Amino acid sequence: MIRSANPFAQEPRYELITRVLRSNIQRGMLPEGLVLLEGPIATAMQTSRVPVQAALRQLLTEGLIHRFDGRGYLVGPSGKTTAPLRRDLRDFTLNIPDAVDDALQTRGTWRHVYEQVEQQVAACQIFGEFRIVETELSEYLGVSRTVARDVLARLQERGLIRKSASSHWIAGPLTARTVREKFEMRSIMEPAALRMAAPYIRYGEIEHLLEMMDQGATLTSEWLSDSLVDLCIAQAPNTTLVEMIRSNRLLLSSVSSALTSLGLPNDDETNDQYRTIFDLISRHPIDSAVEYLRDHVQIMARRNLARLKIVAVIHETGAFAPYLVAQ
Amino acid sequence: MGPQPQPLASPPRSHSRRLRVRGTSITLLRQVRERAEADLGISVDYELLDFPTCQRRAAMEPQGYDVYEQCFHNLDIVWFWGALQPIDINRITEWDNISDLAKLGGISKYAWRGQGDAPVRKLYAQPGGFLGPKPSGYISMLPTVHNMDSFGYDPCVFGVSDSITPSWAWLLDKRAKGRIALVDEPAIGLFDAALAAEAAGELEFADIGNMTIEEINALMALLEDRRRQGYFCGAWRDGDAAAQLVRDGLVAAQSMWSPVYGQIGPQPGSFVEAAPIEGYRAWHGGASLSRHLAGAELDVAYEYLNWWLGGYAGSVMARQGYYIATPERSRPHMSPQEWAYWYDGAPAKSDLLGPAGEWVVRVGARRAGGSYRERASRIAIWNTTMDEYNYATRAWDRFIGRVQSGRIAEEGAA
Repeated sequence: MIRSANPFAQEPRYELITRVLRSNIQRGMLPEGLVLLEGPIATAMQTSRVPVQAALRQLLTEGLIHRFDGRGYLVGPSGKTTAPLRRDLRDFTLNIPDAVDDALQTRGTWRHVYEQVEQQVAACQIFGEFRIVETELSEYLGVSRTVARDVLARLQERGLIRKSASSHWIAGPLTARTVREKFEMRSIMEPAALRMAAPYIRYGEIEHLLEMMDQGATLTSEWLSDSLVDLCIAQAPNTTLVEMIRSNRLLLSSVSSALTSLGLPNDDETNDQYRTIFDLISRHPIDSAVEYLRDHVQIMARRNLARLKIVAVIHETGAFAPYLVAQ
Repeated sequence: MGPQPQPLASPPRSHSRRLRVRGTSITLLRQVRERAEADLGISVDYELLDFPTCQRRAAMEPQGYDVYEQCFHNLDIVWFWGALQPIDINRITEWDNISDLAKLGGISKYAWRGQGDAPVRKLYAQPGGFLGPKPSGYISMLPTVHNMDSFGYDPCVFGVSDSITPSWAWLLDKRAKGRIALVDEPAIGLFDAALAAEAAGELEFADIGNMTIEEINALMALLEDRRRQGYFCGAWRDGDAAAQLVRDGLVAAQSMWSPVYGQIGPQPGSFVEAAPIEGYRAWHGGASLSRHLAGAELDVAYEYLNWWLGGYAGSVMARQGYYIATPERSRPHMSPQEWAYWYDGAPAKSDLLGPAGEWVVRVGARRAGGSYRERASRIAIWNTTMDEYNYATRAWDRFIGRVQSGRIAEEGAA
């Protein structure tokens, strides 16, 4: 999954806010009796009010703040008769560690913009090699450079961009070789993992999935593919292998959705194959499912290479996002 | 499309007796259309496009045509866009008479197949929606017209002696510097250039029919280097443009299509068809059915496909230098002199006419490369849509753009 150098990147937002308020109260930056209101805190932290509410409830249980006969909370433990101090939060110098600030900002915005950027970056690679200008990206998205950098880090993790020798972010060109190699990796790793996973698969879940398919539920091939990983392959006890399998698939799924967004016909002809795999997994010795999966991945490789060829007829419109510079 | 009308006891056939054909200058000839209309009692609408445009619109707008007449190598595009429907071999009357070149990949079991997209590799519908050489009951495209292409050259530049053997290397030869043109289609012209680069000893391809990214980059870098040195005078997408370059005396070596030799005017021997020592770049055309066809419309399309192999169309193709997949059916539609020249490679016993009644061959002339069998035995590569086709196409288009803009700049300065 997504990792970051920032130790706070994975913490829920309300915990980050709790952390900031707690340390500021304990250090006396926020005086006893100060009225804490959700709105101004949310503004200061650049978040919505929901995590602020949760943070305040947490501080309340810790006894660092208390309720009073008015809106909001007062700084300090209950029991003391402190007069409410109504002052603008901005009058106080809140100490927000950079790492927490980064994490908060990232939390607040990168998810909103990431999908759009991923699609633009994946789609442009069909047409050649592009440089991504970080300042243009943050301007285009209306976010800080911290957020832009976080978006780029995630793109790099997906294998959609890389750093050039001169430290520029480069995307593309997408080639048949890249796709072929990713599928070769799949055909090496996924059957092996499925075999290891066999004792750990919860077969009731597979039965349930098969029932859904039998009842004619409309399931996309992407969803079935993800289910195959989540319910079966990822049950393998070797977590390193599972992580490699997941990250190897990231580029392929980005590319696939980019091609569809360019107008390519969707490939839903493989649903029957997923049905067969799930059936083999749930009702037969794992060897048969492993062999079938190997064939399936090879067929998927051919289908994906075929799809990558046909994109050649799509004209370059010249309308790439301004942060993408053709090389 | 609305629901199909219920069949009537006596169907009003006139409504469906119309066929829209999308294709290229290879097969969309007036003589073919008029004869098909007369023989079948149908009306045929032609939509004639250049290769890349034809391919793109066939893939993305299958509602716009009933029959698609193009080449096997672009099935990798049009078939996989889901624009076509499989052809039922049981409904093809001439199936057994179709040549082995299309059905096996070579004119005999032991003949060299050539690199790249030999038609048989795209012929049969296979499980999973793929195309392949393993026989099945359905095909993607009915094999019809085909040829082995080479390039043309100016004998004043390269010589006329019998001891001189044309080589694809001439397309990058400094003797022709400034007077070289290529056909602008990445599945065709790129291979003319690749054959030239290999023949000239500049590059070597592990599999010229499926180049790697490095090989494509090296080829494009070589072409760009020659372009900067001023080797190329143009690129073209149709035979008329190619003929004009020859008539204007602008080219000493260029990609060529067979009918262009008939178009370049009355000076025989001024621009000569090469039989390159390395072999030919071959292509195979055919006809496919649009996805939307059904019922009576589909029946008409099958009639038309069968008519194509019946003989007459093949004779028209022969007069522009192209072969047909059922040559024995076309033979009765040709004079013995025509057959001897076009198929047997014998010296012309009389002047010969082209499809439109113009003189295209002078008495005594002999077809370069000899007979059909000789030529078909020397296929180096087929027009091909490689795995890296998208990458190669974009690189090729940028190169052609620079060739063209260089030419425009020159014309502006003149």
